[in-house]
Amino acid sequence: MSAVLRLLSRRLGISLIVLVGVSMLIFGIARVIPGDPARIALGPNATEEQVANLRAALHLDDPVVVQYGHFVADLLQGDLGVSLYTNRPVTLDIAQFLPATLELVLFAGVLMVAIGLPLGMWSARYRGRWPDHLIRVVSLLGVSAPSFVWAVILMLLFAFFLPIFPIAGRITDSFEITRATGFLLIDTLLARNGAAFFDVLWHIFLPAFALAVSGIGQAARLTRANMVETYDRPYVEMAQAYGFSARRIAAKYAFKPSLIPSLTIIGLDFAAMLGNAFLVEAVFAWPGLSRYGVAVILRKDLNAIIGTVLIISATFLIVNLIVDLLIAFLNPRIRHSERGTS
Amino acid sequence: MSEVLAIRDLCLRFRGYSGVSEVLHGISLDIRAGERVALVGESGSGKSVTARIVLGLLQELPSAQVEGGLFFEGEDLNRLSRRQWQALRGTSISMIFQDPTSSLNPVFTIGTQFAEVLRRRDPGLSREAADERAGTLLQSVSIHDHARVLGAYPFQLSGGMNQRVVIAMALANHPSLLIADEPGTALDVTVQAKTLKLMHELVEQSGTAVFFISHNLGVVREFADRVFVIYRGRIVEQGPTPAIFEDPGHAYTRALMAAVPRITGGGLPDLNDSETAFLEPMVVHEGGDA
Repeated sequence: MSAVLRLLSRRLGISLIVLVGVSMLIFGIARVIPGDPARIALGPNATEEQVANLRAALHLDDPVVVQYGHFVADLLQGDLGVSLYTNRPVTLDIAQFLPATLELVLFAGVLMVAIGLPLGMWSARYRGRWPDHLIRVVSLLGVSAPSFVWAVILMLLFAFFLPIFPIAGRITDSFEITRATGFLLIDTLLARNGAAFFDVLWHIFLPAFALAVSGIGQAARLTRANMVETYDRPYVEMAQAYGFSARRIAAKYAFKPSLIPSLTIIGLDFAAMLGNAFLVEAVFAWPGLSRYGVAVILRKDLNAIIGTVLIISATFLIVNLIVDLLIAFLNPRIRHSERGTS
Repeated sequence: MSEVLAIRDLCLRFRGYSGVSEVLHGISLDIRAGERVALVGESGSGKSVTARIVLGLLQELPSAQVEGGLFFEGEDLNRLSRRQWQALRGTSISMIFQDPTSSLNPVFTIGTQFAEVLRRRDPGLSREAADERAGTLLQSVSIHDHARVLGAYPFQLSGGMNQRVVIAMALANHPSLLIADEPGTALDVTVQAKTLKLMHELVEQSGTAVFFISHNLGVVREFADRVFVIYRGRIVEQGPTPAIFEDPGHAYTRALMAAVPRITGGGLPDLNDSETAFLEPMVVHEGGDA
């Protein structure tokens, strides 16, 4: 177990360094964008004096390095500053909008794995035959259009022409759900409100699927490619010679060795959905971090921009960390080589 | 004596882009119960495909056309459904491959893989019972720290160790026929000799017939009771091992024997690899036919 702990601590250390780098970068970029945030926040009718006062309060007249120092000192106390757009602490804003985005992305991630991996597995099992050709065409189609295009297409097809799914929002307004975690799927379960839970599922499915389509295609293609290679290995022939069924060979003997190389890329795809979620959220009017992010960038709301980017980066790093741990867990070679270096 | 395996006039053709090419041109051979029979020939002569036809694996390739009689313990294999044929594999017929380490799955422990093999015969077997049986079987191949080996992954064991594991697995379900396709060729010579000796003892004890595929005449001479020499998809000579080695009747067999490098002199001899004499009719030694 100590091997996994050592891997975890090393990766956490690297993640921290990356986060510091990201904060510096976004801090610098946010300061370089033209426009005076204090003037934008106060509007055209504010006096020069008012603007100057706000600039002083925000430390905007100090050198960038000093400003960064103020920012880090505040951050260590869990304070990301006040948003000039909402006039609330940025941490509060993020706490309000992040769960919706995370819920969408996590659900899309589940769809990606739950649909993409089996598709790849079937494709590889029937390689060269018609189920393979069909799955390959479908997954190529999924990969070749960006998620916001899928969002528009799916919305048109299944919410407009065939009104099966709702067009926008997270939940039907008539449901009153007390906010506990911000994840509506969890909150409705905590409230023991089954009808509301299925209403949330019904709302999340289309945007999550649109977000997941390219990931599903990618996961299926990768799994297929790795599995087709694995099928040529002697241990698969040995499994055939020992009379294991084709289904069992596909699901176990050929799948597990192929999963390890696929997983790294699937993890990256999953993290990339955080970025794509911005566009899908815009299409489905999903009240997540994206609408907030776009609004604050347009208003040059420095604290909110940095906070949003930092949170997205941290989530990205956490996802990567989880994937790395998962790979270490699945791949005995990594697990045991870690032990070997002690 | 009853025949475990009988192959009658077996032909194999592959359909390719350039038309149909025939790989086996009517092979007949038979293996009696408990007998060790070797099929010897150079690379590409059709040895390994013959083994895969007996298992029914090649028939599943859409490009392969297989014709001819296949009888296992008197049963016509060609009349079996895919499922029935599959049921024979890993239970009544088992197989050992060239490279033991790559023929074991890299992401499962030896214990897991062993349990799966044992469940082929005994589907309800619990993991504890499987580990216990596997432990006994590993002891029979001189692996004494079987608890460590069962918990290990193939890459953590040496090639020789994996070879012993593979032999124990192959004999675990008491098959009546073991197909050994160039076993241990990937190992170094001394380890190969040791594990072959071990395999020899075990199959003798259990009375398992062995279909031994090899290009290595030295190994064949040690191991086999009878030898079939194959050249370009045809059996060119067959007979009891001593008769073939003392008096090779066919030009190709003589060339094959001359090709064995000797420490004492001359290095590798110059050989013409497609003499017309190699295509002469089959030589059958006394006692060579069933």
